[in-house]
Amino acid sequence: MPVEARLHFRQELQALEEQALEGLDMVVAALERTLEAVLHQDIELASYVIADDDRIDGRYLEVRQGILSLMARQAPVASDLRLIAALLDLTRNVERMGDQCVNIAKLVPLVGREPPVEEGILARIDRMMRQAISQTAQCKQAFSRRDVQLAEDLVRQDDEIDRLNREIFSLALQSGDDRDAREWGATMMLVARSIERVGDNAVDIGEQTAFVVTGLFREFTDASHPEIESSVVH
Amino acid sequence: MKQVTDRPESSSEARFAAGAGPVPAGTQANNGRTTGPGTAPAATGAATTKPSVDTPPVFEIEKLTVRYGGKLAVHDVSFDITEKRITALIGASGCGKSTFIRSLNRMNDLIPSATVEGSVRYHGQNLYASEVDAVQVRKRIGMVFQKPNPFPKSIYDNIAFGPRVLGMDGNMDEMVERALRRGALWDEVKDRLKTNAFGMSGGQQQRLCIARALATDPDVLLMDEPASALDPISTGHIEDLMFELKERYSIVIVTHNMQQAARVSDMTAFFTVVVDEASGHRHGEVVEYDETEKVFTNPSDERTEAYVTGRVG
Repeated sequence: MPVEARLHFRQELQALEEQALEGLDMVVAALERTLEAVLHQDIELASYVIADDDRIDGRYLEVRQGILSLMARQAPVASDLRLIAALLDLTRNVERMGDQCVNIAKLVPLVGREPPVEEGILARIDRMMRQAISQTAQCKQAFSRRDVQLAEDLVRQDDEIDRLNREIFSLALQSGDDRDAREWGATMMLVARSIERVGDNAVDIGEQTAFVVTGLFREFTDASHPEIESSVVH
Repeated sequence: MKQVTDRPESSSEARFAAGAGPVPAGTQANNGRTTGPGTAPAATGAATTKPSVDTPPVFEIEKLTVRYGGKLAVHDVSFDITEKRITALIGASGCGKSTFIRSLNRMNDLIPSATVEGSVRYHGQNLYASEVDAVQVRKRIGMVFQKPNPFPKSIYDNIAFGPRVLGMDGNMDEMVERALRRGALWDEVKDRLKTNAFGMSGGQQQRLCIARALATDPDVLLMDEPASALDPISTGHIEDLMFELKERYSIVIVTHNMQQAARVSDMTAFFTVVVDEASGHRHGEVVEYDETEKVFTNPSDERTEAYVTGRVG
């Protein structure tokens, strides 16, 4: 019978995948802190989120270096090559998700300690962020289990984020004549925009999951051809 | 699928008709070879794909089975080899790739117990038809081996050997220069053509063997592990040379170096060892034949996947 070979390489590749996927755990923690900072206008926690992003960036650089090293030394092919290509994409998405937390955290001090909060908007930011956290956990699970169905489900999940994003936009437009209220509403639009991007990053990781499994890369949704979305997504 | 026939070529102008050149004794022994649908076993689901290609086939192989002394060596191989492309044959030891490549220019004829079933068509002509002269086959389908094997003669005489034996017309000095240029060796040896070939480095000797194969004006070059005895620089020279040669020649290469297959070839055929559970006897079959990029990024068969990733050894 065939014997397992290249065990050392297999272990290295597995460790590299775990290292990359842990980046998504770090993103979940950052998203949770970012949400807390926004909901409670916690400027100290926001500055912690900004500082802590160095860890996510560091992880990105480590994984990238590990990928380059494996490619140089082990010349991976077939499913190994697809996994490595997908990890390169995944880890870049992780890094971008961390950056979105920083973008949001930087907005927190700009609206002052006691901004004129509109509860309808804040509740939607809360729901939107929880949805983004859930999608981040889901894309990790889909990738590590090579579960294409779970990965494709991210598109359905992401519709909720897009819907909340549009609602926040329209509520912010109705912020009235008070300058501070309008400024806060506009800031929440930016927050919502960053959360919306995090959702897209999770969908991208879902697409990489499908690529690893099937060997065919396709976007789950195509923003420039929305009319074909329904035929692509099952 | 095309019908396999055992009907000899009707054309009297068969490319390899005997008499076109001197035939050394021994090569005409026909080894009890049989061809035809009656002897070719039914296809047993050997999963070969037929990728779309834009150039015509130089070889059409149908249900090729080779036995040594009655024992299966290669079983039921069917695929087309594309003209002016590099086709790599990969697979573990004993998977039949060397046996297969040797069947493309009838080198197996030299092994008395070898028998061949099925058909190998070269530009449409059955290579194993009775009137085909194996020497003419090898003139058009040259071969280079793992270990450089120059003759103990001068560089010039090594190249001139084939054309002289075959009685080829033309200016011999020009033929030698042309072959050495095509073998990317001319500039290195033009001032010492009369010195013994054994004085060359291993890599130069291998390029000399390639040039020697090119001297008889073939259109196919078969290479059985041509770089496995060479250092990386000489290997690089051979690979560069292959890229140049494929403009003019169809190349088939057996290699154990998968990265080499991935680097140089356009098409890859993966052979595997099949063990007969009753007898314990092992033979080779083709599992997958496809574009090299496909084989090394997303192979169709799990056995190919396991082999190219090195998961099984």
